[in-house]
Amino acid sequence: MSARWRGRLPWLVMGAVLVVALVIGSQGRSGPMTEAQRVRHIASEIRCPTCRNQSAAESDAAAAKAVRDEIDRRVRAGQSDGEIVAFMVSRYGSDILLKPEGSGVASLVWVLPVVAVVVALAGLAFAFRRWRARPGVEVSAEDRALVERELQREDT
Amino acid sequence: MSERRRAELGGDRSELSAAEGGTTSGRRPMSDVDVAVARSRRHTARWAAISLGVVLLLFVAVLATRKSAADKQAESPLLGKPAPSLTGTGLEGSQVSLASMHGKWVVVNFMASWCVPCREEHPELVKFTQRHQAANDAGVLGVIFDDTQPNVRHFFSELGGSWPVVDDPGGHTALDFGVRGPPESFLVDPNGFVVWKGIGQVNADGLDKLLREGKARGA
Amino acid sequence: MSATLGTAGVWLGLFGALVGVVTLGLGLYRRDPTLLEAGRKYTWVIVAGAVLGVVAMESALLRHDFSLKYVAENGSRQTPLLFTITGMWSALEGSILLWSIVLAGYLAVMVHHFRKRATDPLVGWATLTVFVVAGFFFALMAGPANPFRVIHGTIPTNGPGPNPLLQNHPLVAFHPPMLYLGYVGFTIPFAFAVAALVTGRLGEGWLVETRRWTLFAWGFLTIGIILGAWWSYEVLGWGGYWAWDPVENASFIPWLTATAYLHSVMVQERRGMLRIWNLSLLLATFSLTILGTFLTRSGVLESVHSFTESPIGPWILTFFGLVVFTAVGLIAWRGDRLRSPGSIDSPVSREGAFLANNLLFAAFCFVVLLGTVFPLLAEALNGDRLSVGGPYFNKMTTPIVIALLFLMAIAPVLPWRKASEEVLRKRLFWPAATATLVVVLCVLTGLRGLAPLAAFGLGTFAAGSAVRQLALSARRHGWRGLIGRANGGMIVHIGVVLIAVAFAASHAYGHTHEFRLSPGQSARLSGHTVTYLGSSTVKASNKTSVSARIRIDGGKVYAPAIQQFPFATQAIGSPSVKSGLRDDVYLTLAAAPDHPGGTAVIGVIVQPLIIWLWIGGAVIAVGTVLAAWPGRRRRPTAPVSAPVETETTGPPPEPVGVSSA
Repeated sequence: MSARWRGRLPWLVMGAVLVVALVIGSQGRSGPMTEAQRVRHIASEIRCPTCRNQSAAESDAAAAKAVRDEIDRRVRAGQSDGEIVAFMVSRYGSDILLKPEGSGVASLVWVLPVVAVVVALAGLAFAFRRWRARPGVEVSAEDRALVERELQREDT
Repeated sequence: MSERRRAELGGDRSELSAAEGGTTSGRRPMSDVDVAVARSRRHTARWAAISLGVVLLLFVAVLATRKSAADKQAESPLLGKPAPSLTGTGLEGSQVSLASMHGKWVVVNFMASWCVPCREEHPELVKFTQRHQAANDAGVLGVIFDDTQPNVRHFFSELGGSWPVVDDPGGHTALDFGVRGPPESFLVDPNGFVVWKGIGQVNADGLDKLLREGKARGA
Repeated sequence: MSATLGTAGVWLGLFGALVGVVTLGLGLYRRDPTLLEAGRKYTWVIVAGAVLGVVAMESALLRHDFSLKYVAENGSRQTPLLFTITGMWSALEGSILLWSIVLAGYLAVMVHHFRKRATDPLVGWATLTVFVVAGFFFALMAGPANPFRVIHGTIPTNGPGPNPLLQNHPLVAFHPPMLYLGYVGFTIPFAFAVAALVTGRLGEGWLVETRRWTLFAWGFLTIGIILGAWWSYEVLGWGGYWAWDPVENASFIPWLTATAYLHSVMVQERRGMLRIWNLSLLLATFSLTILGTFLTRSGVLESVHSFTESPIGPWILTFFGLVVFTAVGLIAWRGDRLRSPGSIDSPVSREGAFLANNLLFAAFCFVVLLGTVFPLLAEALNGDRLSVGGPYFNKMTTPIVIALLFLMAIAPVLPWRKASEEVLRKRLFWPAATATLVVVLCVLTGLRGLAPLAAFGLGTFAAGSAVRQLALSARRHGWRGLIGRANGGMIVHIGVVLIAVAFAASHAYGHTHEFRLSPGQSARLSGHTVTYLGSSTVKASNKTSVSARIRIDGGKVYAPAIQQFPFATQAIGSPSVKSGLRDDVYLTLAAAPDHPGGTAVIGVIVQPLIIWLWIGGAVIAVGTVLAAWPGRRRRPTAPVSAPVETETTGPPPEPVGVSSA
């Protein structure tokens, strides 16, 4: 085995172990949520109506409790997450949701950062290609000698 | 050390241009100085800055034309729709409902005794009910928001007013109407449709104006 | 009397700023050194004005002088002494006063520090810029945000006191001043950036001289933000510490660009590159502080922090427009001249890592800024009303933070110019091995969730890399190996890792529940037992509290309460927290018992590793101080830009712990 691959071996082993661990680690938390967990999950995406910036799951306010109770009632009645969220929007307006949903102008908030990152990476790749096309720095012999002399002087 | 070299390390524009004047034939490959000069002729920084400047100008224009957050909430998804059903126990213990007031204009007023603006708008609501007492074409229906009946009874005995007030112990009515916090008022027309929502204090003149406009529209 | 004194102070400061601007402006135009020398003296007029204003305000608050509108609205005879003093910055006008005195202080230090170079146009332009900014803030106080307005008519005998949430915890004495020391501190580097662009002189050393300014301002801002999170945790009752609230974001966004600057400036020092990046980052940081001030004080966004509305919004927005116009204009005018002839040879190099760092922080800044202002933009575009809250920010920033943790691990071991695979493999082996071990252990002990596990793994990787650097440096230089920019920076990185890991753990593994308990009853949550002992009502000078006594884990008794302030609308909850190294038990009194001996509803939140957030903050503070410590000057001929190594010549010398000036 060449020296380079010998050096890479421990890294490959570590990488494999890590991947296995992470795969195991990502399981186990998903799986069907209990009703209480579902209520909490839906409530965490709905704003507490009276608070400034907390979710209905976090807040102690009366309005937040009312929202949680309503979600609980509807979860027990068998409604889907989408239906419950739609009900809340039909009462409070679309700004009761903590995350902008899907389509139209609202989707911009999700799309724009991704576009920005892609543009930045493209710009970077472009810049690197241009830099690489440049020839290297030319060092004249007298400059080399000068630096050598100075280094030797410092080392003594 | 060569003049050119010193210029590059110093990074001073004037010295660069002086050194640049010193380059002679095209036999030598492109030097660092030539590249730098060529790059600067492309004016990348200038174009980037200008486009960013335009974006920021638009941004400032948007910010300049925003109303404050408090004014914006009076839009409601309930406008133009039938009012949600509203029943509950009144202050005297009897059942009260919005449906029983069908045929009149109703101001559904969410209030609490601890709410300072509610205290300030209360006399206006009293004035409004007195004005329409004779014709009996409009009335107020109060809903308690996160408060107790004894507190609200005390509030009314202190400040006057005698319209029905519904208790809302679990906050379900407030949720049905999409109420964020007191005081909020909804104007319901005689057919039971929500025609207006107000955040914050209301006053009698404003309510009367809405009533006139609503009647003119032919409700 | 306070009103006259205070107003005099405000106008004095405004006068000093305006005259100073005119004098310096003339001096720079005519290249007249005497005018430049004279102009800088107006600093002391500005300082005098600010001091006078603060003294007037504090004395009015302490003497309960209710003839002043500000005191009538924010002071009270019942408020304890500490909160009366901090009442100065508890509302909008007073906060502008705080801003002015911090700015005046910084201005004084700057002018004194550069007194020997006062006739240098670069210093002159910088001083002029700070004068303009100071003038703006004094103008605000002379105009729309006047803290010294007098009440006409009957003078009240008592007032409501500061907002109840601001009377609850002593941290209110530290968080705003720290935050302002950071926020306002960025004015000085901004002024120098403007001066450098205007005069066209960048190659000289002003950069190194202002580096320490930026580092201190950054340090104060970091501590200010962390104190804000701590205060929010201890006071607001929801068990969280960071809500991505617009005001929190307003302080965080400039922090991001400032952090990017602190890293990127190293490339400029070593290789003379990324100059335009660095200038832009400095200009952006200051502009973002002004934008943040606008967002939090104009009322366009709802927030926990919203100051009451005032006509101040248009003024700040105009100033923001002016700042942005100046910044963009200067870059457009001078920017291309500053480009260095050098280039980055290889993306896998220290320079490449710092460039990637700049881009990641720019992306981070963009995401947080976009999310914060998006409700305004959407409404302008087509009237949509929507909110952007925690879930958006957490989702969008997680990949960026993951990438930053990775970079934090790799960058310290990357050589300048070019790295080879062997070098990286050799230097990163032990950090990577430790990280893998940590992830495996976490999974084996039952922890699940990809995001927290990734955070733990990468955090260990980054911390391992930092510790390795420190160990090498200490071995070579002894105790001096811990001071200086590189080593202080590694300590700061360790602090950041602590915070990142604590953030991930507390979000992923927290548990919350409400229990209805009668006296003597216990409940269990996440391995902790809470026993409700009973409740009591206590009347203090400024509030009435109903508190519940709760014993945690058979040990100490904690008392979450509901407090009613006489002039406030609603009662506010006051939580009680048992902090431990492993986790925090957070108690709230959700519902007090209706009758003595009745049941109470107790909210319990158990979150792991919360205390490491504050410990991480302390580590960052220590690291910042060490980074600012003057170290040995690097030998001018110490090999920095070594020849690009190939496999036959071996790795370049390890750039370890040699503190730079």
